[in-house]
Amino acid sequence: MGASTEEPSFLVSARDRQREMIEAYYADLATAGGAKRPVAYMLVGGNLTEIVRSFGYEVVFPEIVALNCAIKHVSLPNILQAEAQGYGLDVCGYVKNDLGLQQLGGQTPFGRIPPPDLLVCSFSGCYVYVKWWEALAEKFGCPLFLLDVPYLRDERPPTEDLGYIVAQLNEFIAFLEKASDRRFDPASLRRTLAHSRAAEEGWVRYLASGARRPSPIEAYFEAVFHMFPINVLRGTEEAARFYATLNAEVDERVRSGAYPVPEEKVRLVVEGVPPYPNYRTFWDFFRKWGAVSVAATYPKVGGLFDRGFLHDPARPLESIAEYALGAYVNQSWPLRRKLIEEYVREFAADAVLIHGIKSCRSFTAGQGDLRDRLIHDLGIPTLYIESDHEDPRYFAPAQIKNRMDAFFESLDRRRGGAAEPLRGAP
Amino acid sequence: MTLVAGVDIGSTTAKCVLLEGDRIVGKSLAPVGVELVKDAERALAQALAEAGRERHEVAVVTGTGYGRFKVAFGRFTVTEIGCHAKGAHFLFPGTRVVLDIGGQDTKAIKVDPRGEVVDFAMNDKCAAGTGRFLDVCAGALGFDVSEIGALAEGARHPVKVTNTCTVFAESEVASYVARGKEPPDILAGLYGGIVGRSLSLLQRVGVEPEVTFTGGVSRNGGMVRTLERRLALPVNVSPLSQYVGAIGAALHGRERTEGISA
Repeated sequence: MGASTEEPSFLVSARDRQREMIEAYYADLATAGGAKRPVAYMLVGGNLTEIVRSFGYEVVFPEIVALNCAIKHVSLPNILQAEAQGYGLDVCGYVKNDLGLQQLGGQTPFGRIPPPDLLVCSFSGCYVYVKWWEALAEKFGCPLFLLDVPYLRDERPPTEDLGYIVAQLNEFIAFLEKASDRRFDPASLRRTLAHSRAAEEGWVRYLASGARRPSPIEAYFEAVFHMFPINVLRGTEEAARFYATLNAEVDERVRSGAYPVPEEKVRLVVEGVPPYPNYRTFWDFFRKWGAVSVAATYPKVGGLFDRGFLHDPARPLESIAEYALGAYVNQSWPLRRKLIEEYVREFAADAVLIHGIKSCRSFTAGQGDLRDRLIHDLGIPTLYIESDHEDPRYFAPAQIKNRMDAFFESLDRRRGGAAEPLRGAP
Repeated sequence: MTLVAGVDIGSTTAKCVLLEGDRIVGKSLAPVGVELVKDAERALAQALAEAGRERHEVAVVTGTGYGRFKVAFGRFTVTEIGCHAKGAHFLFPGTRVVLDIGGQDTKAIKVDPRGEVVDFAMNDKCAAGTGRFLDVCAGALGFDVSEIGALAEGARHPVKVTNTCTVFAESEVASYVARGKEPPDILAGLYGGIVGRSLSLLQRVGVEPEVTFTGGVSRNGGMVRTLERRLALPVNVSPLSQYVGAIGAALHGRERTEGISA
């Protein structure tokens, strides 16, 4: 089954603006590295981009490079290279894409990825990630800082956890002063955080529009695409401006009636990382049934801004600590389940779709229990399907489509609908 | 009375059922090849021949199974999950759970009192625990799959087949043969392994009576008895269990047609 080439027509100016921003980011990155424009590698979950940028570092997020490779259908050669180096089939696809890409020279269709001058392991919830950063530190011989962020176990971050992270952030600042030979500038950090706050508020407004009926946004496929500025360019004026543009476009969609599907038939909450190598094909499986994601958890892996974990220039390090603790990827399973249940209620969703990924057990483990809780305890129709976020070998289109067709078909019939007519049949 | 047809194009066989009222007036079953459109046409033609009826008498044809989109002459398509639910409910109205083991997949389906799907769980991409798995292992023992149904009844010391991979399980069977294990003991081990995998799917949707067993593997008496023992429940099996998907497709087509005409 080939990928669809049909562009969703409701995506207009913001999509093109973001493409320009992505191209400019990678073009700029290609010339970075070394003492003048040092490069820091960082992870998305609870990242410290504002602090790192205030010391003059360019920031690379290898997870985002990996997903860009997967969407461009070039992840498999990198993965195979890493496997040839001895990384097993069940090792995270992001990790293998990055390590294979580094071994092959760092060239991608969207630009050359420079090697790191500094490694910041900002998310410690995945042990494989810690080992990934250690492998990079060994390969490139550059300094590594590990921020130890405990899992969030209560809705309000515990005082002792916040204090623990703030103490590490102070250590991190001292570490950066030494590594960069620059003095920490608190005023610069506050300015950067103000830009972050503006972008976050714009992003939250965008995500909240999924509660409208019909939803003017696709809160999974479209929102995942629009995660780039909030995760990669956060702290810049450009990112804040982007979300203002995006929201103006959403307002226009509501005025003109340009929605993700011609007729919204199923409102979904989606949990899990997308199958990036088959992104458009997977989206087509939803659109065919008039199914629209009205809320999703994955666009919040970098930060759960819609639940109040916003940066605050008046409390720089404290708000960074709260943000890092509260990122979706850092939440314990009871909190993740509760959030999904809240989304179903708040966004008036009909069903939940969970996409599990084979090469990430740390994020996927617990999704089976989530399915059981939603179906058996709450009576919410839920479908669990599985492939991978990075490795195209795990995506079986016929089987995934069959499960999705059966799921949407059963939802339709329970409402008194009928089977999908065969196209072109008499 | 309206004559409707259901055509089920599965991974290994094509089935067709002609339904008039609640009476099955014709049916066919044949292996599928690479030309699924022709297989579908042939399945309908053979069922019509068995019924002594003509094509123009059929009001609506509904396709199901992996090859449902190849039922080019059909008016509707419905997934095999929806069709097995509907077909099992037609044959056994008390059905609440369907276990379907076909050529390459296994499905556990929870149904409501009207035969509508409430929940379902399917095996992963590999064919472990399916009809194909049984074919391969029967071959490794020197039998055709149609011969092995009752053989396991003579088992005295069933072996444990631990591999979940069809290819590796074949090697495991071969190693038991080499070690002098008796075919009934090996087959009992195989049935136990397949049923074990099916039980995990059934438990995901929740087991409650009545359980109806469908698909080609339900024709194997050894499998049925093993399943009943493990569930500690009687299991419904119809002589038409391979046609359940096609029956469901015909019923869906009829409902849809009546819905349109109403």
